[in-house]
Formats: sequence, structure tokens, C-alpha cells
Amino acid sequence: MGLEQYKGDMEMCCRCSACKWIPMQRVSGYRYAHVCPSISKYNFHSYSGGGRLNIGAAMLKQGFNYTDRLLDIIYNCQMCGACGVSCNYAMDMEVLEPIQEFRIKCVEDGKTHPALDQVIAGLRKHGSEVPPTGKRGDWALGLHLKDATKEKVDVLYHAGCLISYDKNMQKLAKATVKILQKAGVEFGIAGDAETCSGGRAYQMGYQEDFLNQAQKNMALIKQSGAKTVVTGCADGYQAFKVLYDKFKLKGNLEVLHISEYIDRLTKEGRLKPQKKVDLLVTYHDPCRLGRLGEPWIPWAGKKVPGDRFVFDPPKTYRRGTHGVYQPPRDVLKSIPGVKLTEMTRIKEYAWCCGAGGGVDASNPDFAQWTARERIDEAESTGAEALVTTCCWCEKTFHQAIAETGSRLKVYDIVELVETAIT
Amino acid sequence: MALSKDIYSAFEDVVGPEYICNDPVIMPSYHGTEFAAIVLPKDTAEVQAIVKLCNKYKLPFRPVCTGWTGKFSKGTLYLDLRRMNRIIEINETNMYAVVEPYVISAQLQAELMKRGLHLNVKGAGSNCSAMLRGHGHLDQTTSGDDRNHLAIEWVTPAGDIVRSGSLGSSDEWFCGDGPGPSLRSILTSAVPPGVTPGVFTKAALKIYHWPGPSRFPVEGISPKYYLSEIPPNFMARYFSFPSVEKMWEAEIKIGESEIAFELMGFNVAMVAANITTSNEEEEQTFQRLSKEVQGPGFFIILAGNSAADFAYKKRVLEQIIGEAGGRSLASVEDPRTEGILLCQCIRISASIRETFRPGGAFSSIPVMGQRDLTIQWAIGAGQAKEPLIEKGLIVDDGGAFFGWGVEQGHLGKTEIFCKYDPQNPEAKKAVEDWHNAQSARAFQERYFALLAGPNEEIGRGLSNYHLWWNKIQQALDPNGVSAGAGALV
Repeated sequence: MGLEQYKGDMEMCCRCSACKWIPMQRVSGYRYAHVCPSISKYNFHSYSGGGRLNIGAAMLKQGFNYTDRLLDIIYNCQMCGACGVSCNYAMDMEVLEPIQEFRIKCVEDGKTHPALDQVIAGLRKHGSEVPPTGKRGDWALGLHLKDATKEKVDVLYHAGCLISYDKNMQKLAKATVKILQKAGVEFGIAGDAETCSGGRAYQMGYQEDFLNQAQKNMALIKQSGAKTVVTGCADGYQAFKVLYDKFKLKGNLEVLHISEYIDRLTKEGRLKPQKKVDLLVTYHDPCRLGRLGEPWIPWAGKKVPGDRFVFDPPKTYRRGTHGVYQPPRDVLKSIPGVKLTEMTRIKEYAWCCGAGGGVDASNPDFAQWTARERIDEAESTGAEALVTTCCWCEKTFHQAIAETGSRLKVYDIVELVETAIT
Repeated sequence: MALSKDIYSAFEDVVGPEYICNDPVIMPSYHGTEFAAIVLPKDTAEVQAIVKLCNKYKLPFRPVCTGWTGKFSKGTLYLDLRRMNRIIEINETNMYAVVEPYVISAQLQAELMKRGLHLNVKGAGSNCSAMLRGHGHLDQTTSGDDRNHLAIEWVTPAGDIVRSGSLGSSDEWFCGDGPGPSLRSILTSAVPPGVTPGVFTKAALKIYHWPGPSRFPVEGISPKYYLSEIPPNFMARYFSFPSVEKMWEAEIKIGESEIAFELMGFNVAMVAANITTSNEEEEQTFQRLSKEVQGPGFFIILAGNSAADFAYKKRVLEQIIGEAGGRSLASVEDPRTEGILLCQCIRISASIRETFRPGGAFSSIPVMGQRDLTIQWAIGAGQAKEPLIEKGLIVDDGGAFFGWGVEQGHLGKTEIFCKYDPQNPEAKKAVEDWHNAQSARAFQERYFALLAGPNEEIGRGLSNYHLWWNKIQQALDPNGVSAGAGALV
């Protein structure tokens, strides 16, 4: 069905421009009212969520005309889903799904971006979306962790590509290990056998590659006996929890982001952050843990003929309502000395870090532009540090800070928890 | 109509290559029109340069803000004013704000609320330009339409920059009529075509006292936002009445007593739309509320400047409602629902949920005039909707109309619309027929239907103003590049 299944949704767009802004009730001033990086940077309406739907609807009718401009529009989008949340405050229609399908169609039609092709070539060759810098499991050398490919485990920690291979990010995996061990969690890792969740490939439009990765991962999980997967990055989280479910591959697997798991362990009394961490922080909601991290809602049905855009059976839209927002905040609150001050754009209407949708690879300048906007917003709170729960966000923010000379520090939440329990 | 390379380059030289595009692939996102090009000027100087080029090349242009709606001719140059998005000034002493076209009402309102001020948010919604002329929920206390425009910076269709009102003789924006040229009748024409040729590049807007909090205490996750508490000295209620006459009696007394912050003649279908988060929920809620009301009604917000002022306003309201036999809708008395409506009506100006959500389109006929008279017209227009509802071509809203008073007085706007699925040709045709027939009836019965046309026909009914308008238009726009339209959409 592809894009065609969303013909009605795309035609519902009334060009109100709500997709460009945070929900109107949340607009608290002139600044930080925008929500879509793409339209904010490129200005032509075509770069907004609504504009993309207008083009998709027209091309379904008139045929697909792949000009350079069209591909520029298609690939300069972080697929962050903020447009959909703002639209779906008032409207009943899919927004990100048709945008996603449009990308998938581009890839199917061979209209790809060379930088993304390169990422996917690496994925096919190495099972990673970042270039390997050694063996995938090297970060765990000397930690004597259970090998889930050889032993049965209940809990599998999936570190993800960036954390596994990026020397600056491996600290997050090590911090996670410390935290889980401190809480007495029996867990394993797949080490060198771990492979990419495929989530980024899907965002980029490479559906087949995503499915290939998903099948490999689920086979590995089945073999390990794991009932719970804990992910270190938000992309992996969304892939395992939402996308695998969308394609009916997840089964009964419980998927937890490390921040959710820490929150659970803390509330169960298994983890007690006691060491004081004197820090005023602000928290960045990663798109794929927050608004796009809400569960998939299986649905199949038909439009009811008549005056309204309604379906039989009724369709429940994913509007960002049930994303993971509170657990990371509760974790921060549990750390003695940490004070949380919020940015203007948070939770379901958070501004993207800039890295999503492959934009960090296809247009690093745009990714950095987007990140700088977030750094500016974080600084406006007076916070000393920006805390996030996704390694991709952290990496992008570090680069932006290096460019701007900002004094803001950036941490993944596991780094603060590690400090508090050590 | 493609621009020649030379002409394209001339515009490109003004805005830079990043801010002009004529690739046909983007046109579906611009109202599905084959524009000559889309250009995004950054300031008045660029607008002026573009307009002069349009005159040089006899190229028609249209300026647009957020661009929710609009009908355009093929081959037009589209001035997307998105980059002109600055709040130039908020003058608390003289109670005005100066904005560029792409400042939306939600932004300006948020800044004003921090300062104990607010503005008239147009019915199109706070997602639209603050500079728009028009009417909205807050007309009762903030007036509407051109009354809120003060001095204006205007690039004429010929490319001259005109500064109206006080701006014409000083750097001050406080007055639209002087000292300096008062061009109110030209700049803010309220009669068809209802638009001003040329481009407004900055405008001063009247701002008003805001008795509420600097920020509403919004809680929850979209779309289920709610207020953690009703702000002190605020109250929202919906009252239904035994008859239209009784409703009007109460409405006019409320206006005379000047107690309402907002008085919006919502029908219950609109209440249902605003308090619900999906189409299915809306339908069920409408059915439920329809059984709870005794007849037509209105929504009202009281906002006290103090506890004593609030208590006084409540007492007056109770007396007026009691005398008119009004009954409060219990569902709206629930603080959660009350809070949702406060935000929907003040911060959002309702709009999208009640118009586009059901089927994706609506067709509206707004009529200005003495409220009790225009209501009579609207009752007929509502009856004419009933066969369409029965056939399932439009959304069942009980055939209801809505409307509101302006400036606490007899004058007001009454409006009625059909919500439908524009992909259904039968529905589209039926709604068009309804619209044409009811607009014509309004005109024949001498109601001032804002969207009625053509100009000549209306002009004959209104002192032949159209003859003068056409002459003014020709003088302002000798090359016909902004003919018939041109103001902000």
C-alpha cells in the first residue's frame, strides 16, 4: 500500500500551519515557538509537515516528479514527528507516517541520497550505522559480562552502534553496566554479535534493510531467551519497541530504555543514588524516546463513507501522548543535588537535536544548525548542563557546543546516575 | 507561466538564491497553484524592490502570511512573508504592538500576557498572523476587524512606501488616522473585495488590558491539555435558552452591562468539538450535550479585575440569565472542561477542531450587522442545511449557527458553516449550492454577507462604492499587478 494508504490523510491537510509550531497553548513567548527544524531552516512551506503532505497527495494524483528540489525537501527532515504532534492536537490524520512512506518510496525508486547510501552500505557490511573502529564488543573487554549468544539471559542490554563503536560514547555502555550491576540485575550482552536495530535505516527510508536488521535481532533475542531488552539509545528503543511491533516482529518482548529501567530499579529500591551531584540541569527529550516512543497501536480498517474522516473500526491515533517523558525526569529527581529546570519546548513538543532521519549524515550543517538552536534554548534556562537520554543527541550537542563555544556541559543520564551511585 | 531566466534572476538578485523557487514540485504546497515563483523577502526594502520589479515586468503578485487559505491566479508571483517575523515594539504605555506579517497571534499574545495585556485573536486562530484583519472570540472586549489597526507601513501596488496615520508625520505608531495621512477606508476596507492592494509590511495593533495570569497553568500531554486550576476571578460557562429571543435578550443585556470578557454564541456542536480530542468523541459528546440544552445558547467568559469586580460580574450575570430563563450547561461547569474551553477560546481561538477536523473542509457565510436581525437570517440558512445533514453530506451540527457581539453592543457577527468531505463530489456540490443560495438570500434581504460577491452587485446596494473603489484601485495600481487583491491572507 505504501504512500497510497495515506491518501485520505494527506488530503485532510488544511494548511493551517499548526505543524510548524508547538501547540498553541504551549507558546509562552516569541522565542522557542517553532517546532519543525526543516521549515524553520528552509522556509518554503514545502519543508513543513503540511507541505510534505500536500506534495505527496499531488504526486499520488499526478505522478512522481523527482527533481533536485524534491529530494532536498525529502531528505532535509529529521523525521522527528513534531509536526504530527502539533497537527494531531486538533486533527485526526496521520502526518509522520505518510512522510515516512514518501521516503521509503524514494528509496524504492532509487532516488536516494549518496551519504545515506554510504551509511546503508556500512550497515549491510558491518551491521552498524557508524563505521566500525574495532570489534563491536570491545567496549566490554575485561568487564566479564554474560554473553547472550552463549548463555540464556532474562535481560539483554543492547548498546547500539554509536555507543559500541564511538570511543567517546563507550563510556555510556560502561556506566550502564555499572548501574545494572549495582542494582543486582542479571543481564547479558551480545558483544560482537550485536547488530544494529535498524531504526535509523527505517528513518532514512531503507525499509528492507530495517526489516533485515529486525529479523536478525529478533532471532538473536529468541536464541538468548531474553524477555527484556534494555537499550542505550533512543533510536534503538523506538526500533525495538515501536517499529518491530509495527511489523509484527516484537511479540511479547519487553523493551525498556535504560532511563525507564533505572527509574524502575530506583522505585523498587534496588538502586539508590546517594552521592550528591550538585548540578542545575535541563533535560532534552529525544524524539524517539519521547513522542515517537509511544507504543504502536495496531489497526486495520476502512474509512466510513460520509461526511467525516472516520474509520471502521475507529482509529486511535498516536499523538505523542504516551511517550516516555516522566521516567527520565524522575531519575534526575532521584539524584541528590541535581536540580531540573525545564526548557520551553519539552516532552511531546520538544525541539529535535538535529541528528534524526539521517540528517547528521546527509546534511551535517543542518543537523548542527538544529542543535545550536537547542543549545541556545538550554542556555536560556540558566542550566549548567544539558542532559539527554540518547547518544545521537549527545554527540550532536557536543559538536554544536564545540562550534559555538558554549559553556554548557552535555551528559547522558547514565553518566549522572553512575556518579551518584559510585 | 514560467518566468524567463532574466526575470527570475532579477528577483533572485533581490532576495538571494535561497529565497526564491519556481520548481513545480513545491507548488502543491502553495495552494496547488502554478505560481510564477515563490519569493521570501526579509524586509520592507526587499518587498518594495519585488513590487517594483512586478510593475516593470507587469507580473501580478500576492503577499501571504501563514497562508491558511487563498485563491490565486496561475502565473502570479507569491510573496511568502514568512521571514518577516519580528515583533518590532510592544508599547505598554500607549497600548499598541507593532509587528511584521509573520508574527502569529499566539506569539504576540504570549508576550502580551506577561505584561498584563492581550489582543484580538482572529477567528482563523492564533496560528495565523497577528496582523490579520478580522473578527474573533474576543470581539466583545477588543472589538474587531479594522478597529484594531493603527498606523501601518504599506508598500503600494506601484512600489511606493506609505506610512499611514501618526507614522506619516513621526516615528510613532499610536494612531491610524493622524497626524498624517488617514487611509483607513483604503487600507482596511471591510467591504468586498475586503483586501487592500499592495503589501502591509508592518502594522501597529491595539492591545488591551489582560486581567489574567501571565501564563495559563497548562498541564498534561497533547491533546489532553487542561488547566491545573481556573485562574482567579475567571469563569467560563455555557448557557442555553428557551428561545432565540430570550438568548438575544440576555446577550444584549450582557453587552450593556459590560461584564463579559468574551461572549461567543457557540452552538453545542462547537462546544463538543472544542472539548474533545477526536471525531468519534466529538460525535458522542454532541449527541449528549444536545440533550442537555434547552435551545440556542452562548458561551461566556467572565474575567474580574479583582475579587470584588468578579463577584459583581457574576451577580449581574446570574440576574440576566435568570431573567431570560437561561440554564447553565452542567458539563461546562466541570472545572476541567471549563479550563479546556478557556484555553481553546482565549489562546487558540478554537477554530481547527470545529472546522477542519471532521471532514477536512468547511464552507462558511459570515454576516455582519445587528445581531438579532442577522440571527434571523442564519436560522433560515440553518434550515437549508437540514436536507444536507439528512443525506449525510455534511456533518450534523443540528443546523446551528453561531456568532458574537462586538464591543459589548448590538453589532455583531453571525456565521454559519457546513463541514464536509471535499473529496466527496456530491457533498462539495451540495455545499457550494447551499453557499451560493444562502449568500444570495442574504444579499437580497439586505444582510451584509462578508463573502458575498461580485463587487458590482454589492456596490449597487451600497451607494455604488465599487465605482469609487475601482478608481482608487486604478490609481494605486496603474499596471494592474495587484488587481482585486493583494493584502494579507
